[in-house]
Amino acid sequence: MDADASRSQLAAALVRVAAGDRAALRMIYQDTSAKLFGVVLRILRDRSEAEDVLQDVYVTVWQKAAAFDPGRASPITWLVAIARNRAIDRLRASGVSRRMEPIEAADAVSDPAPAAVERVEQAQQQQRLARCLGELEARHASAIRAAFLDGATYEELAARMSVPLGTMKSWIRRGLFKLRACLER
Amino acid sequence: MSDDGTTTPADGGNLIAAEYVLGVLGPEERREVERRLAQEPALASEVAFWEERLGGLADAVAAVPPPPHTWSRIEAAVSATAAARPTSIWQSLAFWRGFAIGSATLAAASIAALAYIGLVPGPRQPLMATLAGSAGQPNFVAAVTATGNSLVVVPASLLTTDPRAIELWLIPTGPNQRPHSLGLVRPGQPIRLTIPPDLAGRLGPDATLAVSLEPPGGSPTGQPTGPVIASGKLTSL
Repeated sequence: MDADASRSQLAAALVRVAAGDRAALRMIYQDTSAKLFGVVLRILRDRSEAEDVLQDVYVTVWQKAAAFDPGRASPITWLVAIARNRAIDRLRASGVSRRMEPIEAADAVSDPAPAAVERVEQAQQQQRLARCLGELEARHASAIRAAFLDGATYEELAARMSVPLGTMKSWIRRGLFKLRACLER
Repeated sequence: MSDDGTTTPADGGNLIAAEYVLGVLGPEERREVERRLAQEPALASEVAFWEERLGGLADAVAAVPPPPHTWSRIEAAVSATAAARPTSIWQSLAFWRGFAIGSATLAAASIAALAYIGLVPGPRQPLMATLAGSAGQPNFVAAVTATGNSLVVVPASLLTTDPRAIELWLIPTGPNQRPHSLGLVRPGQPIRLTIPPDLAGRLGPDATLAVSLEPPGGSPTGQPTGPVIASGKLTSL
């Protein structure tokens, strides 16, 4: 299926879910659950917690599908955002500061794999993101990637990269500031 | 900005959306951002910007198929919420209520539109659409009768006293479809429009309705000439 067809099929399914169509929810689940489970599992690192959160994600999709605005977000982005928000909230609620692997290990996993990119449009967006991250200082970019993928707090990132908390905040904020300018170009 | 954790107002202040999306904020700060999102459209678009742009990072995460029992648990949870919805009409009202902005007026407009089209059985499913502006705020609710030959448009929000005419357009589904005029809409009150027979068959689910501002009397060219102030897709009830 080409990029636009896949995207519009997912968007159409979300509209049907908003109108109470359970078959459409199942279709969305079949198309996206492996991706979202991967994202949630990466953040929570516990299969049983991740399963709970994944269930919660699709129940949220069922309840909130009407808030999806196809003019504003791509369907997969919208779903990933819900999954990450749920996983991060669960992580924060557990109150456990996690033992973190060194950041280099996270980077090895997080390098974009072109083969995994299914959609042309997403590929272009990702190329732009990769280029803009590439323009940042390497440690700023690493911290931003690790924060996004692992849902780590400033404190955890500072510990992982062995720098003071203030330094980590400053790295990430500078990185985001530059990233915004680059992404808008 | 200094390395002691403080930021200058110029760069720190508008990064809260990025920090929220990135996930580095603590629970209280996250709740604070979420409270503000409902009231601050600028912050909501900033969050949407970062979700869309940073979302690509998630492609780096390997997909992991969840265990098979996960779907049955979701289905059970969804059935439980679905059972709480008494009828399909209330189901659709819950759907309209899902639009957080202007939800009270929107629900009122939806009820008005449903009342106008009536709930009599017809040869086809009644269709409804909310037409939202670029900021996402719903401006109109439109409903197509079950007979498919007339359409009710109810304004869900007050419009400015713009002297221009408000014209309603149908864009059928399918590639390269041009807008067809359905007539002029009055700013402050519901109106019933008769659908020309040649268009009635094309007013199906997923067709788009759009509203544009035109010179008095309507578009002189037969195509929208002014700004499109709202649009939305028709959905079966």
